[in-house]
Amino acid sequence: MATINATITLSSSDMMDNAVSITNTSTLTKAGNDTGLSETSGLARKKTSSGANTILLDTDSGIGSDATAGGANKVYIKNLNSRGDGTKYVTILLEDTEIGRLYGGDWLFMPWNATSSGKDIEFTASDTTETTLEYILFFE
Amino acid sequence: MATTTATITLSSSDLLTDNLSLSTSTSLYKHGTASTGLDEMRMERLEIPIDDYGSGTAKQYDLIANSAALLNKPSWVYIANKNTNDTHYVEISIKDDLLGKLYSGDWMFIPWSCNLNAALGSAVEIQAKEATAVIEYALFHDGDTLTTAADS
Repeated sequence: MATINATITLSSSDMMDNAVSITNTSTLTKAGNDTGLSETSGLARKKTSSGANTILLDTDSGIGSDATAGGANKVYIKNLNSRGDGTKYVTILLEDTEIGRLYGGDWLFMPWNATSSGKDIEFTASDTTETTLEYILFFE
Repeated sequence: MATTTATITLSSSDLLTDNLSLSTSTSLYKHGTASTGLDEMRMERLEIPIDDYGSGTAKQYDLIANSAALLNKPSWVYIANKNTNDTHYVEISIKDDLLGKLYSGDWMFIPWSCNLNAALGSAVEIQAKEATAVIEYALFHDGDTLTTAADS
């Protein structure tokens, strides 16, 4: 087993009258026990100049298919493009369900059920500007 | 406007041959700008019952419901499962689609797109498994629609 720590800090000094400061650290474990996750895709990078749907993690092939369906899998994704004027983004989908949009510089960290019934993690760029994503899958 | 920063650090000294050490930050902005930050948020600590408050029927709840004012605007969702038993988890779904499971101690942070289409929907839903779950969540957003009072 391995010990993988994921820490988030959300902070704002001017959104409210008092400062917002949320910090949380999770040690990534397998489902239902305290054994650490020990497999990963490593840090990977994907580029596309297509405005079409692109599969990032496929439940039927590649590293995505190695993830245990229903396991405590976790995914990190970052849009490496610059933010520009703030109108270009990448839509992150669970198959055909939109999760949300990553503008340039944005990142996400989420659990992934990796159900074999086609719940791939996909993305669609808002236009044909070359888009680069970095991602890591931690899985069991 | 406000400046809200989200930072993630991923680290491990024994997952790979070399250390894993990744850290990155982003600022939460409104759409169509690189300088105007999101300036609204809500945060709660909640107990999510495993059944419908004792009825014995397992139930999924809307944690963050759709709202007209959230449409086509950037929103960010943070959820942490504060339980301590390793077997306890919550399932997080975007409407009917199960995104994944947050076990005790886990957290997630995602951008979220509100969709008012009745068929597609987009509510962030949660269901406790094994036991009542104590969670903390926050929604950073650019406007929400308040519920009109029944006696207004």
